[in-house]
Amino acid sequence: MGVSELEESSLLLDEKLLQFMDQLELLEEKRATLNSLIEQGWFSMSKARYSMGNKQVSALQYASEIEPLVHVHTRTLDSGDLGFCTERLSQSKESGKDVTSVEDIGPQEEGVRRRNKPKKNIKEKEANDKASGEKASEVIPEKQIDQNPQQDPLKWFGILVPQSLKQAQSSFKQVIELSAEIATLQTAVLNTRQELKNNMKDKHILQEKTSAALLDKVSD
Amino acid sequence: MAGRGKLIAVIGDEDTCTGFLLGGIGELNKNRKPNFLVVEKDTSITEIEETFKSFLTRNDIGIILINQFIAEMIRHAIDAHMQSIPAVLEIPSKEHPYDASKDSILRRAKGMFSAEDFR
Repeated sequence: MGVSELEESSLLLDEKLLQFMDQLELLEEKRATLNSLIEQGWFSMSKARYSMGNKQVSALQYASEIEPLVHVHTRTLDSGDLGFCTERLSQSKESGKDVTSVEDIGPQEEGVRRRNKPKKNIKEKEANDKASGEKASEVIPEKQIDQNPQQDPLKWFGILVPQSLKQAQSSFKQVIELSAEIATLQTAVLNTRQELKNNMKDKHILQEKTSAALLDKVSD
Repeated sequence: MAGRGKLIAVIGDEDTCTGFLLGGIGELNKNRKPNFLVVEKDTSITEIEETFKSFLTRNDIGIILINQFIAEMIRHAIDAHMQSIPAVLEIPSKEHPYDASKDSILRRAKGMFSAEDFR
């Protein structure tokens, strides 16, 4: 009875140990990716500094009002561990802006416009006006959003920034996402370690019990 | 995903902070308190430690990113932090590459296989 329990706890311990090793391996992989991405970001930033000037990419350019564009959400995973995931706020707004900008650029009416329209077309014109009025009412709320935009940090460094600075930004965006994944893994590693410790203690207690039981049998 | 999420804080050299702020993590709250600290040559260890501890106590911070060479200066404070939120991540800096053997989390994980655990 005691021996089978001991075997069970040993198997559980082995399973946990393998899980722990897998998590560590994954953590190492992600760490390597993060390090290379950060290096890439610095390299792009240095290139931007080279083309813009030494003092043009520094802490002095930070805006006086800074709003976060990324938030981290924490949630409990199925395994019971804590998970971190990032959410970028600007993405939805930017995509919304893209849609309106495409609509604005295109001609409002198709075909050649006639300046002196005959009276027959007055009704059609009214219908068109109504339609455009509806369009305008749709556009207004988006314009209101535009009045208070969350400024892209890229604009702190100028309007026409070099491509390398944009590359640096995209590298660091990836790093931010990866750092949330690494934070999740780190928490998982620490939790598994704690579970392993507890399981090991349980196994030691079981071992002592079984050895004591065996000694009793021998003495009898 | 209801409600506003938490922030990512950074303690690092100028390039690290600039990079992450470019990525969009920066915030100056109503009290004009930033969620980042640019560590320069004349920044004292006390200042770094106080900022780190203030980040730990802030409820709106979920992850703290810190350059490993700065983490080395306040290692005792990092080792003393045992909660999972905020998570502390050590990252490399331009002059100092990442060394896994110095990382608090990995050292804790490595401690798993010390002689004490097998007693």
